[in-house]
Amino acid sequence: MSLRALIAGQWSGLRAAFAASTATLALFVVAAAVWPALNRPANAGPRDTSADELDYASPLELVVSPDGGRLYVLCQQSEEIRVLDANSYAVLKTVHVGRVPRGIALSPAGDRLFVTNTWDDTLSVIDTKALTVTATWPVGAEPSGVVEDRAGKRLYVANRISSDVAVLDAQTGAEEKRLMGGRGTSYLALSPDGNRVYATHVYPNASAHRTAPESEITVMDTTRAVVTDRMPMHGIAGVFHLAFSADGRLGVVAGYHPKNLVPLAHLEHGGAFAYTLTLFGADVGKPVEVPLDELDRYASQPFGVVINADKSRIFVTIGGSENVVAIDAQRLLAFLRTHPRPASGSYAQDLSASSNYVIARIPVGHNPRGLALSRDGRRLFVANRLEDTISVIDTRSNRVASTIALAGPNGTNPIRRGEQTFYTARYSFQGQISCSSCHIDSTFDGLTWDLEPDGFGRDIVDNKMLEGVKGTEPYKWNGGNPNIPTECGPRTEKYFWRSEQYDNLTLADLTVYIRNMPTRPNRWRLPGYELTPAQERGKALFSRAVDKFGKPIEEYNRCSFCHSGPKGTNQKLFDVGTRKPTDNGAMLKAPPLTEIALTAPYLHDGSARTLEEIWTVYNPEDKHGRTNDLTKDELNDLIEYLRTR
Amino acid sequence: MRFAAGFPGIAGLLLGFSALCGPVSAAAQTPFSDIVVTAAPVYEPLAALRGQERFPKGAQLLLVHQGKPEPLVAGFAATADANVSIDGRSVLFAGKQAANDPWQIWELTFADHSLRRLIASSADAIRPFYLPAGRLVYAQRTASGFQVVAAGKSATSALAAIDAAAGATVLPLTYVQGSAIPADVLLDGRILFESNFPLGSEAGNHLTPEMFLVYSDGSGVESYRCDHGAPRWGGHQLASGDVVFTHGASLARFTSPLAHEAPVAAPHGEFGGAIAETAGGDWLVSARAGAGTHYALKVWKPGTAAMQTVLAQAGLDLVEPVVVAPRTRPHQHPTALHDWSYANMMALDARLSRAGDLKVLPASVRLETLDAQGHAVVTGTAPVEPDGSFFVKTPADKPIRFSLLDQKGAVVRQEHGWFWIRRGEQRICVGCHTGPERGSENQVPAVLLRTTTPADLTGVNPVSSAPNKAAGGN
Repeated sequence: MSLRALIAGQWSGLRAAFAASTATLALFVVAAAVWPALNRPANAGPRDTSADELDYASPLELVVSPDGGRLYVLCQQSEEIRVLDANSYAVLKTVHVGRVPRGIALSPAGDRLFVTNTWDDTLSVIDTKALTVTATWPVGAEPSGVVEDRAGKRLYVANRISSDVAVLDAQTGAEEKRLMGGRGTSYLALSPDGNRVYATHVYPNASAHRTAPESEITVMDTTRAVVTDRMPMHGIAGVFHLAFSADGRLGVVAGYHPKNLVPLAHLEHGGAFAYTLTLFGADVGKPVEVPLDELDRYASQPFGVVINADKSRIFVTIGGSENVVAIDAQRLLAFLRTHPRPASGSYAQDLSASSNYVIARIPVGHNPRGLALSRDGRRLFVANRLEDTISVIDTRSNRVASTIALAGPNGTNPIRRGEQTFYTARYSFQGQISCSSCHIDSTFDGLTWDLEPDGFGRDIVDNKMLEGVKGTEPYKWNGGNPNIPTECGPRTEKYFWRSEQYDNLTLADLTVYIRNMPTRPNRWRLPGYELTPAQERGKALFSRAVDKFGKPIEEYNRCSFCHSGPKGTNQKLFDVGTRKPTDNGAMLKAPPLTEIALTAPYLHDGSARTLEEIWTVYNPEDKHGRTNDLTKDELNDLIEYLRTR
Repeated sequence: MRFAAGFPGIAGLLLGFSALCGPVSAAAQTPFSDIVVTAAPVYEPLAALRGQERFPKGAQLLLVHQGKPEPLVAGFAATADANVSIDGRSVLFAGKQAANDPWQIWELTFADHSLRRLIASSADAIRPFYLPAGRLVYAQRTASGFQVVAAGKSATSALAAIDAAAGATVLPLTYVQGSAIPADVLLDGRILFESNFPLGSEAGNHLTPEMFLVYSDGSGVESYRCDHGAPRWGGHQLASGDVVFTHGASLARFTSPLAHEAPVAAPHGEFGGAIAETAGGDWLVSARAGAGTHYALKVWKPGTAAMQTVLAQAGLDLVEPVVVAPRTRPHQHPTALHDWSYANMMALDARLSRAGDLKVLPASVRLETLDAQGHAVVTGTAPVEPDGSFFVKTPADKPIRFSLLDQKGAVVRQEHGWFWIRRGEQRICVGCHTGPERGSENQVPAVLLRTTTPADLTGVNPVSSAPNKAAGGN
């Protein structure tokens, strides 16, 4: 019996014991002790590919070869491309790629397959004849989407963390330039005529405090490799895949339309989110947003989009609802022609609109993500990320014709079950939201929310990153929740889901998943965790006990006091002078500094758009650390250091 | 003895039920589970909404096993309103042990035929349904008609045996003049109930039954759909999520994509009362040829042209069938009510309405409630902000009604009926009767930029300056 199986057996026993008791806290302690042995650490080296250590496949994206004979499946957790015969679904070969791959694209000729690797910031180039990796090129921070231009001259790679698009020489991988995208630039599509690349981004761009989020579609000209347009997407935060009709007249992009500015008192009538498509192109004129939701059923977290060849159908994967929405594209266009267009350009608030164009909601597996049509358009392949399966949908009947099981571990372990719970919307009222609605890809959403229990309009809170959250209790900005089971159990059930409660085992699994969420590599750290001179200077400022005028800084007013320890928090509450008139209290928990460079806006209510604003705008009395003696350069040094945390 | 008559009329009919009528020939091969159905000489389904008796000549529940009916339970003068438990092992029903007793709520376990009285009260208790976590919901007769109530373990020692972790005490869920009767428990955890439209209007000769929703803690009351007008009752949710109901004498449905009801193309006949759905997706319906005839129990495969009779009985209506089988557990709503004696309500844009958006901004909003004599009493007014928003503190657990006023205090628009907000409830409305199809816009309501303290319209206290804050870390 392998170590993994042995520990899994122990875990089963623990679950059984837990089922018979309510010793929740004890379980979490034990789980925390046992689980690390089952999982590679976040910054582990090359993977062990022995059978006993096989990870879940977690298929995220897939593409069909130009001749229709192959299906390339990007398996994120097993970090490989599985090449399947597109008719028999037999595995032809498995090609290992880099760490935590996310994006996949074929060259126009189909002879090369490009795969982005988010954790080692590289691009794998696979020769599709030999099915081997022929090159691995460095790109930007957390590369995601990738496309090659028609001429095979340039590659465009969307970098989520650096929020840009790297333009590479498609033959050598040499980076030519970077084009600024929206925040969290992630998904790319080439227009059918090959003249433009379109980019979307998963986090909203910076905007004024307590105003609607703003996103964009970044349009790049492929001849000159320059940005030519930024199509605004007002009110949308979280934009994912986009697709074009073959004639290039219709573009479609999937997105979230949050209601973060309205007190989250209940979920009825789209109280937390609308989930929408934004249409653009000659067929629709000005961009227009249409809802995927219904009155009693939501399309929680649309992700992948595809339009069939004759523009009769649009298919959208709905990750949280675990289905695929089939849209009659012509009825959709007719709807737009016959219904007066709102001044806002959005029908998102009309929950009956989708009855005009949605023709089926096809149940598939856990967390469907990428999708691709067969060359004849009769089959739709859907990657069920948290089920290790691919649903094959008959596009004439809109039913699942078969399900391809990808090889992987038998059964599910607590982390997988917890992740399924994290991503499914089934617990919330009418399936509107899940943890991942606001923690996109298990991170954050860049938004501030008005939660109901603190009072309408009171205690506006910035949503936080979950990575590294283990060991940073208490939770909530006011420190009101002592542990993750409280934070994710009763609080979430009552004030978010408002419809269903977890059973103890489900909550235990969810807690294990969150506690063991790996922390992505920090891009601001040098190899070996050495510091640059600026970072060294910033570290000294962070730790200093005397200000520039030689006056001692009280211990409680040093950065390093509240933000101490490996995660940058001493887990205590302080009044740092940031209380707003709408806040119920001034005492706030020192937040951890994990990956702080990624998580703007800042402060408890998200009022600081940048790290610098924390001190230049919101620290007039030096209550949030002694900083008013620092120059701009010194603040920059401090920020440089903080980014390494 | 399996059956002891305490109500001679219906009992007499039913004692010879099996021998006299039996099922139709096809019934013995029915492909679905056992069925429990109510048999009654006279069925007046809407009488309860008038506070009257639905089965004035009695009723008895029949268990239809392999097509053969037999009384479900012995020793009762009348039984009705079956609801099978989520695990399919027991059944709730309303029963009268003696003809002059009030209806009470009982539970029968199928395996051993053990019987427990769950609700004992001096007034009628009818139409029970199981809720998750050992609770149940039913209609309790009160001075103002039937009201929907939920009960937990403390309501009765017998109920405690269902689930020791169940909630406590009997909890009123509806607070209206007139009657409210539960019709089903939906998969999303809400309770579908019937009442008069407009909600809270006095029962009269021209009442229009309509279907409404409420959470199992009494919060969130609203119309299921706002295409009001036709009488709608007898709603039952299918596995698909659609709600099928009786519209006049025909069937119709609410379906998630539509803001209005959709007709059901059923075979010719008059339909009455709730339907049931078999595991195979067929519908069990109560149908009759026309007035003057009785409802028979029929099975219909939606989309087909004909129904088949499962059971018919001369002189009896066979209504409100339920299938004896496990079913999907409805969601277990976790109440988020605060420990307050009042409620808060905010409208995002009072100008918005299904009846047509107001072109002119109302100056203020007025709140009324009803006094002990049923007279409307104004509890206060509050300003409407330039974006149409208002935020008010309201009386809880009693009928309330909003009116929008112009600068001169004249009513611009007024709610037709009355609703309530539970104590400790905080509620947001998109507009004033915008209908469930209208979602909220994502913007900070102007009223919250001015103040986060609701205008006190409770009619009791002066405006509070204390922040509206819940205790604890939630």
